[in-house]
Amino acid sequence: MNRNKGKKALLLSLILMMTIALMSACGGNNNNDGQKENAGAANPSETSSEPPAKNNEVKELSLFIDASWYPVKEWKGSVAEKITEKTGIKLKVTVATDDKQLPLMIASGDLPDLVFTYANIDRMSDSKLSYPWNELIEKYAPDFKIDPTRIAIHTMDDGNFYTVRNSFATQEEMAQNKYSLGSDGNPGIAVREDILKELGNPPIDTIDNFVKVLGMVKQKYPDMVPLIMDKDWIEQYFLQQFGVEGLLDGWYERDGKVDYAIRQPEMLEFFKFMNRLYREGDILAENFAYTNDQIDDQYATSGKAFAHSHTVSIADMDNIKVKNAGGSYTFQMLPSAISKNAKAVSSGLGFAGTFITKKNKDPEASIKFLQYLASDEGKKLTMFGVEGEHWTWNDEGYPNLKYDPSDADFVNTNGIKWWYLYNDGVTEGMLSYVPGAQKTKALMEKKEFTVYKPELGLIQLQPDSEEKTIKTKIDEMIKNEKVKIYLAKSEEEAVANYETMVKNAEKIGLDRLVDWANQTYQKKKDLFNK
Amino acid sequence: MELGTRVTGTTGKTEARAQLWKRFKKQKTLHLFVGLGMIFLLVFAYTPMFGILMAFKQYSISTGIKGIFTSEWVGLKHFKEFFNDYQFGMIVRNTLVLSLLKVFFAFPAPILLAILLSEVKNAQFKRFVQTVSYLPHFISWVVVAGIAFAFLSTDVGMVNKALLGLGLIDKPLDVLTNPNYFWGFATGSAVWKEMGWWTIIFLAAIAGINPSLYEAAQIDGAGRLARIRHITFPGMKGTIVVVLILTIGSILGGGLVGSNFEQAFLFGNSINNPTSEIVQTYAFKVGLRDGRFSYAAAIDLIQSVISVILIFSSNYIAKRTSGSSLF
Repeated sequence: MNRNKGKKALLLSLILMMTIALMSACGGNNNNDGQKENAGAANPSETSSEPPAKNNEVKELSLFIDASWYPVKEWKGSVAEKITEKTGIKLKVTVATDDKQLPLMIASGDLPDLVFTYANIDRMSDSKLSYPWNELIEKYAPDFKIDPTRIAIHTMDDGNFYTVRNSFATQEEMAQNKYSLGSDGNPGIAVREDILKELGNPPIDTIDNFVKVLGMVKQKYPDMVPLIMDKDWIEQYFLQQFGVEGLLDGWYERDGKVDYAIRQPEMLEFFKFMNRLYREGDILAENFAYTNDQIDDQYATSGKAFAHSHTVSIADMDNIKVKNAGGSYTFQMLPSAISKNAKAVSSGLGFAGTFITKKNKDPEASIKFLQYLASDEGKKLTMFGVEGEHWTWNDEGYPNLKYDPSDADFVNTNGIKWWYLYNDGVTEGMLSYVPGAQKTKALMEKKEFTVYKPELGLIQLQPDSEEKTIKTKIDEMIKNEKVKIYLAKSEEEAVANYETMVKNAEKIGLDRLVDWANQTYQKKKDLFNK
Repeated sequence: MELGTRVTGTTGKTEARAQLWKRFKKQKTLHLFVGLGMIFLLVFAYTPMFGILMAFKQYSISTGIKGIFTSEWVGLKHFKEFFNDYQFGMIVRNTLVLSLLKVFFAFPAPILLAILLSEVKNAQFKRFVQTVSYLPHFISWVVVAGIAFAFLSTDVGMVNKALLGLGLIDKPLDVLTNPNYFWGFATGSAVWKEMGWWTIIFLAAIAGINPSLYEAAQIDGAGRLARIRHITFPGMKGTIVVVLILTIGSILGGGLVGSNFEQAFLFGNSINNPTSEIVQTYAFKVGLRDGRFSYAAAIDLIQSVISVILIFSSNYIAKRTSGSSLF
């Protein structure tokens, strides 16, 4: 009996130990992750009251880039070196491991000196997290002039602006610069030239014809995926073809009223089309589950896919990769419009912005650093590279580049373009002007049917507001429900799923959100009608 | 008289105290161990609990830790919001189904394996099986997810390629994306990963059974199955009950094999979302990605309350029915 009791106690303690081992294993992992993150991020407690350094002394600021896909991960290359030479500032760069890292850093208070983000602009525009640029400019850089439209766009309800996004240009600016075409961030689809030829060069001038060609590919090459899509560039190209004005989580305007994009009449046609692609076997269901943006590239460049949906530069990019790997086939871009309804609405306020956080150890140097990047010299240096070495100015009004801007390896190792912590859409648009390149052609076509409605972009939600919560919930719901529409087994099912999605949105509070958006829109649209 | 009793009373007390101190001193190493555990719990489990306040407040992360106390009270707003969420039913169903499936399949599995192993006479084979079955425990779920993709992806997965090549299927199995496969896959992989690990405990329980009982039973003519049923099984009962109670206490996390969150997070994607979204992943998403800490805290609090109820009631039932219990 006694012996049994001892055994029982032993067993109990063994069970407990194992449970604890199980739990502490998880705990241990978490701790490690935390430490890694801390190590990667800045060391905010360090030297917060350092005196401004002398001119010839290189100062180091930490920068967090809130984009896990960011192609440059280190402050090196000729552009970075030149910027350091001009400003005396060197950046210690950390690129996000996922989209939750910045929110985590905000939560734990471990912010670096500078944060570059596009997804968390609302959240970072907060006087508790960042210094307002207007205060810093007034105090340290009174000659840093930013045009009033850009300031108006970024001014929050508290009257301050905390960043200015890059990649933004007004309609007038774009119209005045005919060599400025727009950035790489425009959707495009590349198709295999050789296979198209073997199929007898069937015309791809309508959406139906495109689907027909995909069907032919499927029949003739059953092992090939007719269309592979980058996880971030699944919808955009087709949305434009159907004349949908914006993305699934955006706004559209008709007759002076705004409404949420999913309720646009054209949206249902778009969804039916995507569902058709799936039902006819032109796309993989798995494509919607990719969490990695390399998978589609591998399909395309290893010869396992016919069409590749990504951006306007994808044909050029794939071709370089295929060539470097010793392949012999080439990709060509589809026209930017393969439908009469094609329409692109530019409601963009730009792409990403830099924030000077409250943990910044030298706000003065930081704002002056941005001021340099915002100067004509700085903009051209970041966007085109080192003058003379990488480009010379053509008096027509664009740079003669000495390299191929689609050669991602060259661009990334030299740090061209990606240090655009401050820049504008006009300068960036010129990087795309390479006479003869496929991207140039695609972008020129796109410029033709682009309509500018930046006032839509001004429907911005304040962080922690009720409307923001509603919008976040609706967007999250759309993310889940749209896949059900794409992968429906019949068109009827797709339509029913679409209707469920809209109904769900209404249940979450879509009407209230739209009312609020209309009020904001009426208030803010005058900014552009001066 | 009165004085006398009082004197003896105090001396009795001091004596008792001295004895307690003496006993304590004797056990000081043990107390040191317990003390460390207590401090651990105090720092990592009890102190952060004040964060529960958030669930009843409109908390914004930019106000820092202080904001937990200073932000505005909103009562049960966040709880109501969760109950009214369009996915509420689905998320709760997924959490419960996944948890119950795991208890149902993952709890008996190590018991059966332990009994089977105890009947194996070849020691080398026994050791081999034991090692192979508990090794997966040491692979992290992230790695398992990577392996699963390499094996089961519809396009590049080895298993699909092999099955297609053998002509056993004519369309690749979309195990990783089809919502109908998620529960089965999650339960199966959890059993595979943790079964061997928990077998160790049950084997230890079996090892504690007095061998003379078996000998006696054999002489009385009991066959193998009868011996398992009348000796091995009753001998393991105490251990089984304790493990069962622990399992039920952590049932919403996946029971003794755990990993509900890891699986839903790593194997979940927008296609199998209708079956893979569970309370924990949902709370994680709204909390960290959307920065809605109050709402996430409310969701997690609901789950914790359910867990506490479950552990107390299972303990009570165990005490009433089998006599052994955790506390």
